Amino acid sequence: MSDITAIEVKDLIKSFSYYKKELGLKNSIKNLFKREQLIKEAVKGISFNISEGEIVGFLGPNGAGKTTTLKMLSGILFPTDGYATVLGQVPWERKKDFKMNISIVMGQKSQLWWDLPANESLYLNKYIYEINDNEYKFSLEELTELLDVKELLKVQVRRLSLGERMKMEIIAALIHKPKVILLDEPTIGLDIISQKKIREFLKFYNQENKTTIILTSHYMKDIEEMCKRTLIINEGIIAYDGELSKINDVFGHKKIIKLSFEEQIDKKDLEKFGNLRTFDGFNATLEVDKSTIRSCSYDILNRFPAADFNIEDIPVEEGISLLYKRG
Amino acid sequence: MNEILKEIRKHCFIYLLIAKNCLIGQMEYRFNFVMGFFIEFMWLFVRILYVIVAYQTNIVINGLTPDAVLLYTGTYSIIIGVYTGLFGHNFYELPEHIRNGTLDTLITKPISLQFIITLRNINFSWPLSDVIGGITMVVLAWNRLGINVNIINIVGFSGLILSGILISYSVFLLPRIFSFWLVKTNAITSISEELHGFNRMPYLIYNKWIQRIGIFVLPIFLVANFPPLFVLHRLSYIYILWGIVAPILFGFIVRMVWNAGIRNYTSASS
Repeated sequence: MSDITAIEVKDLIKSFSYYKKELGLKNSIKNLFKREQLIKEAVKGISFNISEGEIVGFLGPNGAGKTTTLKMLSGILFPTDGYATVLGQVPWERKKDFKMNISIVMGQKSQLWWDLPANESLYLNKYIYEINDNEYKFSLEELTELLDVKELLKVQVRRLSLGERMKMEIIAALIHKPKVILLDEPTIGLDIISQKKIREFLKFYNQENKTTIILTSHYMKDIEEMCKRTLIINEGIIAYDGELSKINDVFGHKKIIKLSFEEQIDKKDLEKFGNLRTFDGFNATLEVDKSTIRSCSYDILNRFPAADFNIEDIPVEEGISLLYKRG
Repeated sequence: MNEILKEIRKHCFIYLLIAKNCLIGQMEYRFNFVMGFFIEFMWLFVRILYVIVAYQTNIVINGLTPDAVLLYTGTYSIIIGVYTGLFGHNFYELPEHIRNGTLDTLITKPISLQFIITLRNINFSWPLSDVIGGITMVVLAWNRLGINVNIINIVGFSGLILSGILISYSVFLLPRIFSFWLVKTNAITSISEELHGFNRMPYLIYNKWIQRIGIFVLPIFLVANFPPLFVLHRLSYIYILWGIVAPILFGFIVRMVWNAGIRNYTSASS
């Protein structure tokens, strides 16, 4: 990762207009004459910078504005307001120089020709991106070997499995060696092995080529394994920007104590120590303040017949869902 | 200038690759490929019926003999064939792509957006019968009418056919572009499809005002009328000039509307 800024986003806003319709035919007829236009702000003035070579994860619930942001950064959508540059260029000006150096992969949208073998689509990309013969041959060889799909290049795309097709999509997106890659849920619907393979590949590719990557995913593993930095976006605003493992620092330093007892104990006795999350008489999960963890642990071990005792951080997923709820 | 030439070369080569890919893709489904040919052949037959009626009644339409009508129908068949083959499918699908947000990845390609979106699907089976049938009718009528086979006639006729193809691109793409604002434009596009039908018979059968509107305002009559009228020496210099200027002018208008429309592309949720 270098100090050069690859992506700069300042106060970026995107609004969409829409209207609501009440149930039934009567309201449809009413709607023909009068519609109340509503505005949804999908992205509400977000700002961030991403350095060259960085992999940044974009996390957020459905409708948070992740994909809309990626679409603006790739030049697909014009923003309502605000400013952004990718590699020093304004994406929505859609200049050739910009397009030659970026790539977007959308897990649910394909750029491959459905009825043709993938190599035909890749060959078309060779000319679209003006790649010379040697470079193309080398890139294709390298990418197909790394993703283990060399033998599948001649197979019709519609005959490939979802995982194989996604690998081909990634090859089609990387064949011109873009400097910035925007990945919108590239592992969606894939089995664990395919997900892992794609994660490993992207991580390796980033290290080898110093490519800047933004990745959105609903799979925590994707973000955890690949991204040192995570941006959590919720309801169009950035709710968190930092390391995923430190996300719980936002929530007032809590710890979890997991306990097992040799004999059944009274729930009321344990509740005095903190927020009791789970309890069945013999096992309990207790949420306590970090500052009191020592004294709590001491007292609990002294007063109860503990068989097992563990102190853990609050799971990252919980921190994220709290951020989602907080908005 | 060199950069422009390089881009034109690049786009031409990509167009050839697209054509190859479309052909390979369509031949994967043999039955559909052959059926497409036969269905268009039936349409060609419907058009030939107009000529048969003209011959049987020996009707002369505003000075156009049945042979001239045959020349006209042949020209229309060639142009409609090229239109269906090169543009039809792309135009038809454009509103759906806008509605479903499937233009996303194409927008990010370093290539003209209008080019890739409006020309990337070429159909080979549909236009085959129209073009072959059309050329046959033109050759037959040309002979029967005793039109000179000289450079002026051939260049003029082919040039105005090219002009008709370019005009049909602009006139029939224009209503589809409104999908960027309205999403569904079936009503407008149906009107434009119907306007296409105005070319089934020579525009001389219509009254003066319809002729003027169809030539200068919405140049629907330029699609297939000018090439036969040129070789029949019934096209004035002003109309010949308009036949050259109109495709450029309307191409420019379409380009402007396209650029405004693409700014309104809202994609769709993923």
